[in-house]
Amino acid sequence: MTGDDRRPAAARAAGAARRPLHRRWWSPYLFLAPGLASVVLFGLWPFANTVVLSFTDARILTGGGFVGLDNYRRALGDPDFWTAAGNSVLYLLVVVPCLVLLPLALAVLVQARVPGIGFFRSAYYTPVIASAVVVGLVWQWVLRSDGLVNTVFLRLRIVSEPVPFLTDSTLLLVSAMLVTVWKGLGYYMVFYLAALGNVPASLHEAAALDGAGPVRRFVHVTVPQVKPMMLLVGTLSAVSALRVFTEVYILGGESGGPGGGARTLPFLIRQVGLGFAGETGYASAISLLLFLLTLAFSLLGRRLARGDEA
Amino acid sequence: MTRSHLPARPPRTARPRRTAVRSALLAGVLLAATACGLDGAPDGGETRRTGKASGEITFRTLQLKPKYTAYVQGLVDAFEAEHPGVRVRWEDVPGDGYNEKLVADAQAGALPDVVNLNTDSFQLLADRGLLADVAALDPGAAKEYVPGAWEQFKLPGRGDSVFAYPWYVTPEILTYNRELFRASGLNPDRPPTTVEQFFDHADRIAERSGGRYAAFMADPKGRLPGDWQKMGVPILNPARNRFAFDTPGAVAWVERMKSLYAKGAMPKESLLKSDDVNQLYGSGKLVFGPGSPGFVRDIKQNAPQVYADTQVAGAVTGRLGHIGIYAQSLGIRKSTRHPDAAIAFARWVTNGPNQVEFSRNATVYPSSAQGLADPRFADRGDGRDADTVARAVGAEQLKTAALDANTPVEWTNQVGDAVVREVQKAIKGEQDAATAVRRAREEADKLLADAARR
Repeated sequence: MTGDDRRPAAARAAGAARRPLHRRWWSPYLFLAPGLASVVLFGLWPFANTVVLSFTDARILTGGGFVGLDNYRRALGDPDFWTAAGNSVLYLLVVVPCLVLLPLALAVLVQARVPGIGFFRSAYYTPVIASAVVVGLVWQWVLRSDGLVNTVFLRLRIVSEPVPFLTDSTLLLVSAMLVTVWKGLGYYMVFYLAALGNVPASLHEAAALDGAGPVRRFVHVTVPQVKPMMLLVGTLSAVSALRVFTEVYILGGESGGPGGGARTLPFLIRQVGLGFAGETGYASAISLLLFLLTLAFSLLGRRLARGDEA
Repeated sequence: MTRSHLPARPPRTARPRRTAVRSALLAGVLLAATACGLDGAPDGGETRRTGKASGEITFRTLQLKPKYTAYVQGLVDAFEAEHPGVRVRWEDVPGDGYNEKLVADAQAGALPDVVNLNTDSFQLLADRGLLADVAALDPGAAKEYVPGAWEQFKLPGRGDSVFAYPWYVTPEILTYNRELFRASGLNPDRPPTTVEQFFDHADRIAERSGGRYAAFMADPKGRLPGDWQKMGVPILNPARNRFAFDTPGAVAWVERMKSLYAKGAMPKESLLKSDDVNQLYGSGKLVFGPGSPGFVRDIKQNAPQVYADTQVAGAVTGRLGHIGIYAQSLGIRKSTRHPDAAIAFARWVTNGPNQVEFSRNATVYPSSAQGLADPRFADRGDGRDADTVARAVGAEQLKTAALDANTPVEWTNQVGDAVVREVQKAIKGEQDAATAVRRAREEADKLLADAARR
């Protein structure tokens, strides 16, 4: 359309009415609306609600009054909060390096084009499709005091008493980490397989011609090429490590280990906010603190990625 | 389309600011909007009877479909046939998240007219004035139910008001493996009746089992505060504003649990409730099973061998001498538009014949006096079939059941969790019993005071 439209107003209006649907100014918003509505309704709205609630003393059935920063002060002075926060951060520090490196090693192994490799690829991916509850139950039977591991240890006389994998807070947390890593291996392996497929074979050939062995080629060719993927996997696994709940719940029961010593932040949020006496306001404040922690680690991941690009 | 046709982009420096302004606006709108949802919207209003049952009412049950669909639908159909002016819309909600759904509905003012409530949900909804006083609306109802069950639906400080009709009940009984009793040198015909005797039995079992089987499950959540009440330990002070269980009796209980756990009287993992009691008992690895008649039926179906060795006796009641009572109930929404229809329907569902019929379909007991007097509940058969004996023992105990054996309202989930955490540490040997009980009481007091402030 030209900038100088000298047609009468009525003709212009008729022209606008004849304009196809996809050319109207609001058409893009129409297409965006369903997605946007679900994001606002199920993402932004509950988030904003949590922010508001965190400044109140609301309970499950009672509307709360504004209490300022009381819930945050209470959380920061609550030993249970610090235990849970410590457990969550420890979880992240152990699980993330494992989930960044082990799936890469696994991907390199199953990338080889040998007969029957498809079976191994599928086998490693199986834990991903198994439900977390089933995985937890299987591991419970493996790690119990009369479970598989302890029976083998006792028979081989490696230990004289069963190892309290599930009844000691620290070992329970380690067991839960083991389950998370085992379940995540196949998932992130697929990420790396995609990234490895994009590494040009010519780079490996050139390095091999220069006399580099498999280890040097892995360190100097493969790793730099898949580094962006490693950062992505690191960020994703960090976020899911901070959200861990199911593994601890299934292995350690509803108290979160003996004395609640293996509780993570999501576990604490559930415990505080659950039931008719549930403190929605306080649980929301802990949720917000968990959000800030997650945000901090995500930003760290982003900064690392940027530094890498530079 | 060439780039020149596109509208000119704003200078790059302006974009972050505009984005920030938009984000702030969006956040502001959302926060303001969500703040509106802060006020609880209790479903108030008065209930007035007109004397004529008519209209459409909603009826919500807790996890009865699909197993008992035919029974409940039969009740609804028969009621509608008798009351042509009434239509009942039945909905069944799964157990998971049932209470949460009730809360959400109560907040939205959308409670059903007749609603199945358990002890927790009854107390909370009644306390907030969401349920009709059925004792006032239906004066003749009291005599129809077992006294313990009727009393259960009163609230402290509300006089004779009753806020729900008692429905079905599952009493506590004692179940144990007769053969393992004998193998441990115990007389199966002399089961324990006090908590102390129960622990003595467990001690003997741990000594004789050689680790092949255990006595009972360690999870303190399943044993408290019941065990303390049976031992005569006061749970609350008379004013009910402080917990009072920090006594030598409670400390002795923790010490006993700790010693039994160390001796192997309980499966190690059962301390955390991550063990399946049915599986352990069903595989002959546990002497005492869970104390419910429904469990006996499960064992009958799933582990016939162990069922043949299962014996049933009256629950351990200690100094109380009677069991508590946890009836499911039917509450009437206070603001119902059809109180006559709702009351008539609730009375219909909970009457003697209909409750006896329900107990034929499920391992539940009637709360109706007439229902409990049915000969079916006095029949012990030849005394060998655990399922039949369980029915008679359970019914007998229900007749004297009283509320002082129930978990006090003040012992909320949060209080229970806090106490259990401290006790678990002591049982594991990570702190001494006296410290555990003291800390548990302090934590519980803090939670109680906090709840009272609101």
